[in-house]
Amino acid sequence: MRQRSGRRPWTFYALAAFFTLFVLFLYGPMSAIYILSFQGPSGGLTFPMNGVSLNWFYALFEQQRTGDFAGSFGRSITLAICVLVLTVTISIMAGLAFRRRFFGAGLIFYLAIASLIMPGLLVSLGIGLMFQFLGIRPNWYTSALGAHLTWTLPFGLLIMFAVFSRFNRAYEEAARDLGASNWQILWTVVLPILFPGIIAVALFGFTLSYDEFPRTMVTVGPRNTLPLEIWVMTTNVTSPALFALGTVTTAVSFLVIALALGSIALIQRRRTRQIIREAGRAA
Amino acid sequence: MTRSGEIQLQRVTKRFDPTVAVEGIDLTIPDGSYCCLLGPSGCGKTTILRMIAGHEEPTDGRIRIGRDDVTGLPPVRRGTAMMFQSYALFPHMTVVDNVAYNLRMRGVGKAERRRQARAMLARVHLDAFAERVPAQLSGGQQQRVALARALITNPRVLLLDEPLSALDEFLRLQMRGELKRLQRELGITFIHVTHTQLEAIALADLVVVMDQGRIEQAGSAHAIYNEPQSAYVARFMGGQNVLSGKVTTVADGQATLLSSEGDRFALPFQGTADFAGTLVHCAVRRDRIKLKKVAAAGRSGQVNALAGEVYAIEYQGSYVKVTLDVPGWPDFVANVPDDRFFAMPVDIGDAVLARWLAKDVRMLEADLGRASEAAGEIGLYKQELGLAQA
Repeated sequence: MRQRSGRRPWTFYALAAFFTLFVLFLYGPMSAIYILSFQGPSGGLTFPMNGVSLNWFYALFEQQRTGDFAGSFGRSITLAICVLVLTVTISIMAGLAFRRRFFGAGLIFYLAIASLIMPGLLVSLGIGLMFQFLGIRPNWYTSALGAHLTWTLPFGLLIMFAVFSRFNRAYEEAARDLGASNWQILWTVVLPILFPGIIAVALFGFTLSYDEFPRTMVTVGPRNTLPLEIWVMTTNVTSPALFALGTVTTAVSFLVIALALGSIALIQRRRTRQIIREAGRAA
Repeated sequence: MTRSGEIQLQRVTKRFDPTVAVEGIDLTIPDGSYCCLLGPSGCGKTTILRMIAGHEEPTDGRIRIGRDDVTGLPPVRRGTAMMFQSYALFPHMTVVDNVAYNLRMRGVGKAERRRQARAMLARVHLDAFAERVPAQLSGGQQQRVALARALITNPRVLLLDEPLSALDEFLRLQMRGELKRLQRELGITFIHVTHTQLEAIALADLVVVMDQGRIEQAGSAHAIYNEPQSAYVARFMGGQNVLSGKVTTVADGQATLLSSEGDRFALPFQGTADFAGTLVHCAVRRDRIKLKKVAAAGRSGQVNALAGEVYAIEYQGSYVKVTLDVPGWPDFVANVPDDRFFAMPVDIGDAVLARWLAKDVRMLEADLGRASEAAGEIGLYKQELGLAQA
C-alpha cells in the first residue's frame, strides 16, 4: 500500500459513514421491533418496555385474537418449498438446454427475463382475471404458485446461466470417456460440481416466494399466505403481537439462510476431515 | 474388439461451418507406437485427437482402430482413453474416487474398485495422496492422477491433449521422460498432441506435422528434422535455413540455382537439364554453416556463400546461435559449436561470410515447382525419384 494506515484518504471516511448509515437504517428499526416483541403483558406498541415476557408470541398463535397466523405460516412455508423444488428443477433443465443454441433460444430468454421488470401486481391481476375467465377458483397452491414462479424462474435461470458459463465441458467429456451414460454424467459429475450454484437458486426460490406480496394479492384465493396475513393484521391488530410476528418471520428467514450455508459448509468440512484423517495416517 | 492399437484415418474431414478443421486426412499410426501430432494452434491436431476419441465425429471419412471401424461409436466402446489438457479431474471427488470412476460406471463394488484404484495410484507414485481432492495437488501430481484415471480403463490407445503444456519447464522434462517410459512399459499406442517441436522429436516414433487441417509430413523424428520435404516443415521444425532459386544448370547430379537476389546455390539434384528455369526450394542445416569474418558485407559472388552482418548472438550452451542480417534472406541463422565460436568469436555488427557445402543442402521435394509453370514436368520428375504417391 502506498499510504500508511494512519493516513487514509477522505473517501474511506465518506464510504464508512455511508455504510454506517446503511446498517443503522437496516437494523435500527428492526431491532426495535425485535425488542418490543418481548414487551410485558401490560405493555404497549412503543417504548418504554413494561416488563419482559413471551406473552405476545403466545397471543400470535391464538387464531381468534390476531388472525390465522399459524395457518398462513404453514401455507407460506409449503408454498415456498414447492416453489423452491420447481424453480431448482426447471432452472437446471433450462440451464442445460440453453447451453446449445436452439431455434427461438433468444426469444424464450427475453420472454423469461421480461417478467422480472413487469409490475408484480399486474402479473397477479392478469393471472387472477384469467382464472376467473376460465372458471377456476384461484388458490394459493395453484394460481399463487404459478404467479410466484413467474418471479423466481427468471432469477433461477440467470443464476444457472452464470454457473454454467463457468462450467468446463471437459468434465463431461472426461466422464463420457470413462464410460458414464448421460444420466450418470448428470448425477455424478454435473450436479455435484454445480451444487453451490443450485443452493443459490434454491435460496432465491424459497425467500422470494416466502415474502412475496404483490404477485400473491389477487391470486391467493380464499386463504392468505403469511405476507398477506401480516398486511391484514397490521390494519386490525394493535398489540405487540404484531412485533412478535415480525420476530418470528425474520427468524424463519435466517434459519433458511443458515441451513443453506450450513449444508455447503458441511460438505467442505467432510472433505477437510478426510484430509486430516489422511494426514494422521501419514504421520 | 481386437487389442491392436493401430489407427487408420481414411479420408477424414471435419467441417465446423464455415471452416474446415481437418481436410481429407489419410494416416496410419502403427500399433504400440508413440505418435506426436505437431502443429501451430488451429491446425486441426486436437480435432483429429478428439475424433479418434469419439468426442467429435468426422464429417466425412472412416476411423479404424485395430481392425474395427469405430466411426460413430461412443468413446467407451473404442478402447481409447483420453487425457485432457486441463486434466478435467472431478473437483468434488477424492483422488482415489477419480481414478476409480470408470470402475464405478462399470458397476464394480466400492471396496474392489478402490483397491484397484490404489494399485494404479501406486504405479504413478501417488498412493499417499489417495484421499485428497485434486485442488490440493500440484500440477504435476494432478497430471499423474489424470494419467492413472485414463489407464485404469486398460485402453489400447492413450490420447494425450497437450499433456505437458500446463507444467513448468523442469516438470515438463521430467514428465516427458515418464510418459515415454510408461509407453514402452505398457506397449500401447500413445497419441500426443503438442505444439512444441522439441517435445515431439524427443518422444515420438512417428511425428505428424500439420498445417491448416492437412498433414504436411509424417515420418520418424529424425526424418522430419533432417529431411523436411517442404519449406513449411523446415521452418516450423527450426534448425534449417530455407533458400530458393531457379535452376540454371544441371550436371553430375548437382544443380545450380540462381535466386532473385542474384545469389547462387548448388545442391544434389537427380533431374535432367529440362528443369532449367524451375523454382526449387531447399534447406541447409544451421549447424552445417561456417562463418568467417570479412572486411565488409556485400554480395559474395561465390556459390553457397552469403555475406551479411551479425544481427544477434544467443549462447545456447553447447552451441552459439548467430543470426545474420542478409539482404533477401530474413532469419538466416548459423549454429556454431561453442568451442569453434569462442576460438574465433564474432560480434554484433561484424561483417561475416556464411558458407556451406553442396552436400549439406536438401531439396524440399513437396515444394518443387510451387509457383512455377513447369507443372507437367514435375510430375514426371517425382515419378523418376519414386516420390509419386499412389
